[in-house]
Amino acid sequence: MTESPVRPWHVSYQQVGIAQELEQLPYRNLAELAHECCQKWQRESQVKAAFSCVVPNGMNGRLSFTQVDEHSDAFAGYLRAVLGLKPGDRVAVQLPNSLGYPVVALGVFKAGCVLVNTNPLYTETEMIHQFNNAGAQVLVIVDMFADKLPAVLAKTGVKHVVLASVSEFFPAIPRTIVRGVQRYWNRVLPTVTVPHTRLKDALAQGRATLTKTPARTYWQGVGRDDLALLQYTGGTTGVSKGAMLTHGNLLSNIQQTRAMGQSHMAPGQECVLTALPLYHIFAFTTNLLGFLAIGGHNVLIPNPRPVQNLQRAMENFPITWMTGVNTLFNGLLNEEWFVAYPPKTLKASISGGTALHTAVAQRWRELTRTPIAEGYGLTETAPVVSFNPLTGTPRDGSIGIAAPGTDVRLVSDDGLDVAAGTPGEIWVRGPQVMQGYWNADEETSKVMQNGWFATGDVAVMDETGFMRIVDRKKDMILVSGFNVYPNEVEDVIADMDNVLEVAVIGVPDAKTGEAVRAYVVQNPDHVKELMPADVLAHCKKHLAAYKVPKLVVVRDDLPKSPIGKVLRKDLRQVVAQELSRG
Amino acid sequence: MLTEFETKLLGLMMIVIMLGMGASLTWRDFLIAFRKPKGVLVGVLCQYGIMPLLGFLLAQALDLSPAMTVGLILMACMPGGTTSNIFTYFSKAVLALSIMMTSVSSLVALGMVPALLEFYSELAGLDSGFKIPAGNVAQVLFVLLIPTVIGMFLRKFNPNIGATVELLGGLLGVTVILFLVVTWIPRNHLLLATTPWYVFFAAIGLGVFGIGLGYVLARVLKQDPNRSRTIALETGIQNGPLAVLIVTLTFSGTMQQEVLLIPVLYSLFIVITSSIVTVFFRRQSIREALARDRAKDGTVLAS
Repeated sequence: MTESPVRPWHVSYQQVGIAQELEQLPYRNLAELAHECCQKWQRESQVKAAFSCVVPNGMNGRLSFTQVDEHSDAFAGYLRAVLGLKPGDRVAVQLPNSLGYPVVALGVFKAGCVLVNTNPLYTETEMIHQFNNAGAQVLVIVDMFADKLPAVLAKTGVKHVVLASVSEFFPAIPRTIVRGVQRYWNRVLPTVTVPHTRLKDALAQGRATLTKTPARTYWQGVGRDDLALLQYTGGTTGVSKGAMLTHGNLLSNIQQTRAMGQSHMAPGQECVLTALPLYHIFAFTTNLLGFLAIGGHNVLIPNPRPVQNLQRAMENFPITWMTGVNTLFNGLLNEEWFVAYPPKTLKASISGGTALHTAVAQRWRELTRTPIAEGYGLTETAPVVSFNPLTGTPRDGSIGIAAPGTDVRLVSDDGLDVAAGTPGEIWVRGPQVMQGYWNADEETSKVMQNGWFATGDVAVMDETGFMRIVDRKKDMILVSGFNVYPNEVEDVIADMDNVLEVAVIGVPDAKTGEAVRAYVVQNPDHVKELMPADVLAHCKKHLAAYKVPKLVVVRDDLPKSPIGKVLRKDLRQVVAQELSRG
Repeated sequence: MLTEFETKLLGLMMIVIMLGMGASLTWRDFLIAFRKPKGVLVGVLCQYGIMPLLGFLLAQALDLSPAMTVGLILMACMPGGTTSNIFTYFSKAVLALSIMMTSVSSLVALGMVPALLEFYSELAGLDSGFKIPAGNVAQVLFVLLIPTVIGMFLRKFNPNIGATVELLGGLLGVTVILFLVVTWIPRNHLLLATTPWYVFFAAIGLGVFGIGLGYVLARVLKQDPNRSRTIALETGIQNGPLAVLIVTLTFSGTMQQEVLLIPVLYSLFIVITSSIVTVFFRRQSIREALARDRAKDGTVLAS
């Protein structure tokens, strides 16, 4: 399968003015992109800052393009000259959206090291697995979760800890107030009991080394095929593993995303609301890298829940762009302040992560009088595979056409291309497709063949290249845009002594798209009665909140295939019957 | 009696408090409140309908002296205090509604307070020596509107300064009460010792009955329990420091001391009353939120 397959979506490109071939960015790596763009946009951009961070009461801090450039240089110096890391060493970053994030992430790239994005809400168990798997030597973590460090450090190879705060780089008075509120009012700042360096000190130490060895030295040898990022995902099989994304993967996807938005983007003039977490691949590529590349202003929201937390940011900044998930757009449409005063400066919005409901899309367009369109992608594809153009008639319910430079085939179970209009699994080949999973050749070979990546999602394509998802091949559950893998939840529950067996499925949920439901069977050898509340408590201890089942049902047995494999699809059918009965 | 310096200091603190209140607002908040004015209207009705009448009835029923009557009626006619926002926050009630009610009642106060004061003073048959001139009250209220507007501009001009001033104002609201405790009680402990029970009853009762009646009226006017709790706190919690300021600007000598008694006692006890009510309200809010979750999910496990 080496010959180029047909690209029926080129017809649609012509209609909306997208170039057929992908124009590559002139940079060798992300460090160069960061440096060159910061230099250029400091001179040319009309926006107020490169990054702002806004907390719910409106207090904010900002970094200019020059500051981001200099601070990330200093962090690169800290990693290489002070800590003695080598090119390709892994640095785990576990930060919510805050000004420390761009400095650290870009600093890791400038050091020629590999970034390991980590959800700050992970439990100790999840952190230990991820850091050990990645072989992370340095961990940059938000101070709010420093209480997890003693347990994690004891069981991983992490040698150095850098602490950053949400109010990092805020002016002195707001910083003092935010920290004061965190410490004394909300009581979310635990005492740090392990050796650590504050980000500010790390930067000072790193900066001092730059006169001897400029940061440029570290990234000069890094090429497009070198590994940039380990982005963890459950993939198709459920065991969390690191998708290996190279500098080239991400540089390409920046351009592919831009092809979607370019009709509504003016370089040096955009202000994007970044409410989605940057540790997730969607906002990482689209907002952090994409808008940095065009000299836009990223307005970072540390915690978008409740949605009211966005109010001051939207009032005080001229937001022109938004990226989000269905839940976020829907949440905003249910806020009085937003409905009364939708941002006048808004130009367009992109939705991803999970299906954008037609009703939400239509209301959004009516209210804001700006286009909103859905894109489709996966962690393994950095992430964008396809998108709906922002111009032309909206096609809600579609995941759009393949991004420039991408080949997409829909393949039947026996590996053959299906006819137009027939469902098939989406296979992707393109410059954004990962190199494979980190240290997991077997897992990699299950999803990658001759450069094609099998997504596990089943779709149909029409004659102009527009696709619509019909089913997810995998049993993965999507909770508010976050992947939950039944295997992982089942493993945790199965650890309980009085659980005989367990099956986890996703059920439709009005609020989160899907919700996790667990079916458990009592182990007759144990006297202690199996209580749903105990299962929930156990899950809360070992799993991030979004993975915890919303409902636990105790059953006498589970449906099984002749060879004893639990049939999740039968349980889903039971749920479907429940729902149809109302 | 407060010294001239203390009166000035009190005035200055009031200015900062109002600056903070302004900084908690944007023009849009105002406009949004008036798009769906029912909640705010119910709140203002409770504020200026229930409280002054309650103050008047308490004064009559307890047969208070003219000086105490004027103190109680003044206290009852005051707009909502900014401390109500703090208690609302802790009660998990509707903070936006609380802020709106405080600001709208402070705005309406400009015309409403002098008129109500005049009406109830007349009704209570106070002679002219005990009346607070309507012009005085209007003047003070107007002067305090200026820092409020400046606060709003600060918020817009620089959110960092705005949010800082907002916080400072909120803290000062509590500080002023401490200030009164420190300056007033040591000098008047003899007075306190000889103060009869019914004066305490009036000072405490204004807050307690105000919260109770505010809740009932809001429920009768079809506000949901959470909004009703917000309105209740807002109704019962008055702007005590403002009343103290008006008294010190109007009266002097022993008369000032007597008129001040109820506003000062009220200000002290309302903090205690509201704290107790807040604990109770908070429990209710959490219970209702859980019940809502259960109803929505059909889950039996949320508890």
